[in-house]
Amino acid sequence: MGGLEKKKYERGAATNYITRNRARKKLQLSLPDFRRLCILKGIYPHEPKHKKKVNKGSTAPRTFYLLKDIKFLLHEPIVNKFREYKVFVRKLRKAYGKSEWGTVERLKDNKPTYKLDHIVKERYPTFIDALRDLDDALSMCFLFSTFPRTGKCHVQTIQLCRRLAVEFQNYVIASRSLRKVFLSIKGIYYQAEVLGQPITWITPYAFAHDHPTDVDYRVMATFTEFYTTLLGFVNFRLYQSLNLVYPPKIDSQAEDELKPAEGKEYAMDSESYLEKLSGLSASLARAVAPTHEDEVEMDEFPVEGETAELMDAKKKEQEALEKHKKLFEGLRFFLNREVPREPLAFVIRCFGGQVSWDKSLCIGATYEATDPSITHHIIDRPHLDKQVVGRYYLQPQWVFDSVNAKLCLPVADYFPGVLLPPHLSPFVTEKEGDYVPPEKLKLLALQRGENPDEESEEEEEEEEEEEEEGDNDKEEEEDESEKEEEMKLQKMEEQKTQSTQSNKVLPVKVTAGKVRVEDKQRLEQEQQSEEKRLAIMMMKKREKYLYKKIMFGKKRKIREANKLAEKRKAHDAALKEQKKKKKKARQA
Amino acid sequence: ATSASFPPFTRLPHEMAAAESFLAFNPAARPGPAAASRRRYRGPRNRKKGWKRWSGPEAQLGREIGDFLEDVGLQERAAGGLISEQIFGITPNYSPSKIFRIIFGFFFFCSICAHQTPNGRKEKRRRQFWEKKAEKGIFPREERKLRARLNREGDPKKSPKSQKPPELGRFCDPLSDPLDAPLAGQDPWFLQQTKKMPVQRPPRLQVKPSPLPPVEVIGQGGSYNPPFQDHQVWGGFGGSWGGIGGPGGVLRGFWGVLGEFWGVLKGFEGGQVQAGHSAAPGPVPAALWAGSGVTRGHSVVTPGHSQDNDKARSRLVTLQHQALFQLRSLRRSLRFRDLELRRRRLLRERRRKILETAPKRLGRQRWGLGFWDLGFGPEGSVLRDRFKSLQRRNLIEPRARARSGTGKKSKFGGKKQKFGAKSENLGGKSPNSGGKKFKFG
Repeated sequence: MGGLEKKKYERGAATNYITRNRARKKLQLSLPDFRRLCILKGIYPHEPKHKKKVNKGSTAPRTFYLLKDIKFLLHEPIVNKFREYKVFVRKLRKAYGKSEWGTVERLKDNKPTYKLDHIVKERYPTFIDALRDLDDALSMCFLFSTFPRTGKCHVQTIQLCRRLAVEFQNYVIASRSLRKVFLSIKGIYYQAEVLGQPITWITPYAFAHDHPTDVDYRVMATFTEFYTTLLGFVNFRLYQSLNLVYPPKIDSQAEDELKPAEGKEYAMDSESYLEKLSGLSASLARAVAPTHEDEVEMDEFPVEGETAELMDAKKKEQEALEKHKKLFEGLRFFLNREVPREPLAFVIRCFGGQVSWDKSLCIGATYEATDPSITHHIIDRPHLDKQVVGRYYLQPQWVFDSVNAKLCLPVADYFPGVLLPPHLSPFVTEKEGDYVPPEKLKLLALQRGENPDEESEEEEEEEEEEEEEGDNDKEEEEDESEKEEEMKLQKMEEQKTQSTQSNKVLPVKVTAGKVRVEDKQRLEQEQQSEEKRLAIMMMKKREKYLYKKIMFGKKRKIREANKLAEKRKAHDAALKEQKKKKKKARQA
Repeated sequence: ATSASFPPFTRLPHEMAAAESFLAFNPAARPGPAAASRRRYRGPRNRKKGWKRWSGPEAQLGREIGDFLEDVGLQERAAGGLISEQIFGITPNYSPSKIFRIIFGFFFFCSICAHQTPNGRKEKRRRQFWEKKAEKGIFPREERKLRARLNREGDPKKSPKSQKPPELGRFCDPLSDPLDAPLAGQDPWFLQQTKKMPVQRPPRLQVKPSPLPPVEVIGQGGSYNPPFQDHQVWGGFGGSWGGIGGPGGVLRGFWGVLGEFWGVLKGFEGGQVQAGHSAAPGPVPAALWAGSGVTRGHSVVTPGHSQDNDKARSRLVTLQHQALFQLRSLRRSLRFRDLELRRRRLLRERRRKILETAPKRLGRQRWGLGFWDLGFGPEGSVLRDRFKSLQRRNLIEPRARARSGTGKKSKFGGKKQKFGAKSENLGGKSPNSGGKKFKFG
C-alpha cells in the first residue's frame, strides 16, 4: 500500500540541467549553429555536481547546460535568423542543382544576415564591463589580423580585424596608455591602462605562423565575430572620449608631411589609408581642434579618511606616471630595415618619441636616415659600416627594456654587436626569499637613482684603451666583489641555519680585558640554545615533525638559491675566461 | 403453521451448528461455507501481488463474517428472515463469546473499511506536527507561498498593472503604431513574452564561469632573451615547467603559501623569540640571574648564613628556573599551535581558491598534469594558446577534435542523414518521418 509512487529523475538536480542534444532539439538548431549561438550569447556548459544523477544513472560523457539558460536562449531573435539561413542554403542548393540562375540571383540578393549589436549591449551593460572583457577581444583580433589570406577564414574577417587592431593601437598612442611590454618566444605581451582598467593582450610575431591542427577554427572564428563587434563599439567610444574623429583620420598637418615628395603615388589614396594609419607615425585628427590652455592646476580636496601620507604617495605616483608617459619625448628614432617595424613604432610613439623608417619599407616614413636630428638609430645587425656621428646606434631591446624600467637605460649595454642583458619580464615581481638575478638588482638600483656600476663602466672604457692593467684591476675588483658576495651568502646561510641548530658552537674568544663581556654573551647564547632545545623537546610529536619539515624546506630553499647563485658565478667566470682568451688572441 | 411452510432443505439452527463440523463421506460433496474458513491461509504461494491478498487476523474475521452473512442471506432468501429470530428470538447454540466475536468482528471490519487511507498514520502525525507548528506561526511551504502571493496582490506598489486609458488630447503621432502606445508602462514580463521588449539577461549570466585571467602572461623563462636563471628553471632545474605546477601554473599558489609561511616562521624565529627573551618574562629572569649572582656573592662575603638557607634558596632558584623554562616552552608550544592553525587555514583557503579556479571537467577529457603541457610551454602557437585558454576557462567544452579521416560513411547513409537534418527545421519532427515527407512531398 502507499500513496503515489515517487518517480526517479523528476525532481532535484536532474530537472535543472539539460543535455546538449536535447537543448539543440528544443531550439531546432544544428550542432554548429547551437555552438555558435552559445558562444555569441555567452552561455557556457555546466558541470553538474552529481553527474550520474543528472544523467539519469548513466555515466556516459555528456555536456550539460542549465535549463534556465536554454530557456533564455529561446527568446533570442538570432535563432530565427539561423533557421532562415539554413532554409536559404537549402533553396540555394536546390536552385543550383536545377541550374535556375535567376532564382540564384534573387536568393543572393535576399541573403539573410544578422547583427550582434543587441547581444553586445545585452552582455555588457556598462562600458567598464566591456573593457574588462577586452583582453580576449584584442588578443583574438591581433591574432586574426596576422593570418595569411589563404582561406582558413574569410578575408573580410582578417581585414576587419586588422582595421580594428590598428584603430586600437592608434588610440593607445593618442592616449599614451601603454604601461608594459614583454617580448616572449610566442609573441609580444602588452599592457595598457584604459580608463583605469589594466588591459593585457598578446600579439604574435608577423609571419611566424604555423597552423595547429588541433584547434577548431570554426569556434575561434565565432569568437572573433563577436569580439570584432565588441571592439568596434569600444573603439568608437574610446575615440569619442579623447575627442578624436572616428573612423580615425590622420591629422591634416601630418598628412601634408606624409605626402610623397617626388609625386610618385604609393597606391591609390583610398587603398593606402589603412596602411597609412597602420604606419602609426602620424597623429590623428580631432573632432574639435585642441585649444592649448594654460595648464590649470586643479584644486585638491582631501577625501575623507585619507591621510596626508596617502595623498602624498598618490601624488608621487601620479608624477611618476606622467614622467613615464613622456619617456621618449624629444627623441627621434630611426628604424633600420631589418628591425620589426610595427611593435617598435607602436611602443616609441606610445611614449612620445618620433619615429621613422626607410620609405621603401613601409608607407608613413616621415624623415630619412640622413636626417641629422635623429638621436637613436635602431639596428639589429652586428655592425654598421657608415655610422653618423651624433646619434646612438642601438639594438631594439633597448627600447623595450627602457619602457619597462620606466627610464632611459644606459646605452652602453645595447650597442650593436654587444651581448645583450637578459630581457626581464615586467609582469613578474619577485617575492622575498626568491632568487633575484643581479641584472634585476641593478635595474632596481637604477630606478632608485643610484648608479652602481658607473665606476666599473668607466674602468671598462679605460681598459679598452690600456688593456693589461685595466683588465687586471677590474678582475681583482670583481674578484673582491665576488668574495664579498660569497661572504654575504655564507652569512645568510649561517643566519638561517642558526635558528635550526640547537647546540651550535660559537667562536668565542677569550681575551684578558673582556672576559666579563664575553662570558655574558656566551651565557646568553647558551641560555638561548638551551631554551630552544627545551622547546623542541617539549613539542608534541606532530609539531616536532612539522617543525622539522619546515626547517628542512627552508634549508632546501636556501640551498637552491645558493645553487642558482653558484651556477651563475660559474657561468660568469666561464664568460670572463672566454673574453680573456679572445683578448689574448687579439693581442697575439 | 410456520413450520409447515419451511422448505424441506432448510436447515434448522441445531442442524446448522452441527454442520460446522460436518463433512459428507461422499467424495464429491462440497464442504460447507464454514469449512472454507477453517482452511488456514498460508499466504501467497508465488509471492506475487502479496499486497492484494487478504491475510491476517482481520481477514479471518472477515471471512467468518462473510460466511455468517452468506448464511443469513440464504436463510432470508429461503425463509424470509432469520430462522432463530423467528423461532426463539436468540440463537441458543451460539456461545456468547462467539456472538460477541461475530458482532465485534463485524464492527471492526466496518471500521477498517472506513479508515483505509494510504499512509494514514504518517499523515496523521504530519497533521499533528503542522498543527503544533501553526500555533507558533510556522507554516508549510505551500501555505507560505499562498500567503505571500496574497500579500503581493494586496500590495499596490508591486503590482505591475496600472493600466490607464491613453490620455486624450495629447499629440498623437500619425505614423506610429497605435498598438504600441498602450505598451508603455505595462508589465515587462508580458512585453517580453509578446516580443515587444528584449528579454533581460539574467544577472547570473554576467558572472564568468572561471576567475582565471583571459591572458596569462608567460613566466620569465618565456622571454626571447631570458635571464640566466630562467634557463635553469625551464631547463629542468625546477623539475616541473608548464602545466599545473609550472610557473604561472595552478599549483604555484601552494608554493606561495609555503613561502609565506616560511616568512612568518622566520619572523617568529628571529624577532619574536628575542622579544620574548628580553621583555615578556620580564621580572622573573632579571631577578633570577641577578639574584643568583647576588646570593653567591653573599655566601662568599658573609659566612654567617646557614647552609640550609643556602640550599633552600638554591633549590628555589632551580625550581624557579625550571618553572620558567616550562612556562616558556608552554608558551612556545601554544604559539606554535597558533601558527600551525593559521598555516592550515591559509592552506585551506588557498586550496579552495585553486579548486575554484581550476577548470572543471566538462567532457571526456580529464584535466591532468599532461593536458596543458602542449599548450602552455614557452614555444608554440598563439592560436593554440588562445584556444586552450578558452577551454581552460570553461568557455567552451574541452574536446579532442574529431578527425575527418576516421569512420568513413557510405554515401547512402550520408545522404539519408542529410534529409534528416533538413527535416528537422521543417517542423521539429523526428528525422525519419520528416525525411520521408520531404522526399515524397
